[in-house]
Amino acid sequence: MAGRGKLIAVIRDEDTVTGFLLGGIGELNKNRHPNFLVVEKDTTINEIEDTFRQFLNRDDIGIILINQYIAEMVRHALDAHQRSIPAVLEIPSKEHPYDAAKDSILRRARGNI
Amino acid sequence: MASRDLRAEVDFVLLQLLGDLEQLEAKRQALNARVEEGWLSLSKARYAMGAKSVGPLQYASHMEPQVRVGTSESQDGLQKFWMVRAGTQTPEEVGSREAAFLSSALRRRKGLPRTPEPDSSPAPQNPLKWFGILVPHSLRQAQASFREGLQLAADMASLQSRITWGQSQLQELQEKLKQLEPRAP
Repeated sequence: MAGRGKLIAVIRDEDTVTGFLLGGIGELNKNRHPNFLVVEKDTTINEIEDTFRQFLNRDDIGIILINQYIAEMVRHALDAHQRSIPAVLEIPSKEHPYDAAKDSILRRARGNI
Repeated sequence: MASRDLRAEVDFVLLQLLGDLEQLEAKRQALNARVEEGWLSLSKARYAMGAKSVGPLQYASHMEPQVRVGTSESQDGLQKFWMVRAGTQTPEEVGSREAAFLSSALRRRKGLPRTPEPDSSPAPQNPLKWFGILVPHSLRQAQASFREGLQLAADMASLQSRITWGQSQLQELQEKLKQLEPRAP
């Protein structure tokens, strides 16, 4: 696994997940959990948080791509994540533009500077 | 003298941190632009193929990633990320597969009963094939946009790691400076 690289996980809306899966990041087989979660209107916060924590605890995931508005739902788990791997990238969605004030990395950097 | 050198170092690390933050924002805007292009292309593909023809119903039941992210850590704890495409195998992986292939070929030549061949995983399937044999050009454009986005995501992850590392360096230097120059009561 170390020679092949780590996976990129996605927790996002349907269109963005479909797009990144088209890009070739998807992994799904009988033995492993998928490395993506499509967040819909009826997806609960508990489900999102459980999936996010699973991704953080997997040692084969290198990057997690997450909508910023979804990241807000699990902000406490995100802020507690201090390791550099997996890297968590907050990206805007169609309905919610990106807000730099909410980004965990930028908030920490602003505090130092 | 020591505090002056330390201040110069603090200034250097701070400038680097600010530069990295600026780069991160530029990469983020570029990624957002690629993702928006991808959304538009997906909408066009849906218009051509049907509303329910481009979505989770078409996802394959078995997926093998074509793209992974390579990581490396330097001695001072700095992480780097880069994209790795399927097919770029390590020498060990290539060697073991060749050995498995040769041993199965030799067994067949000698007429011995065929033993099950080692489970050599097939090359990852292009996800475009989930959507049919002839897909509209807009779906290929969507794939290209999101692929570019993945490269930008790897760059952003490297920059985030550098920013976090820079912050810890800055904190250490500021602590040392405090010890050298304690504030007057």
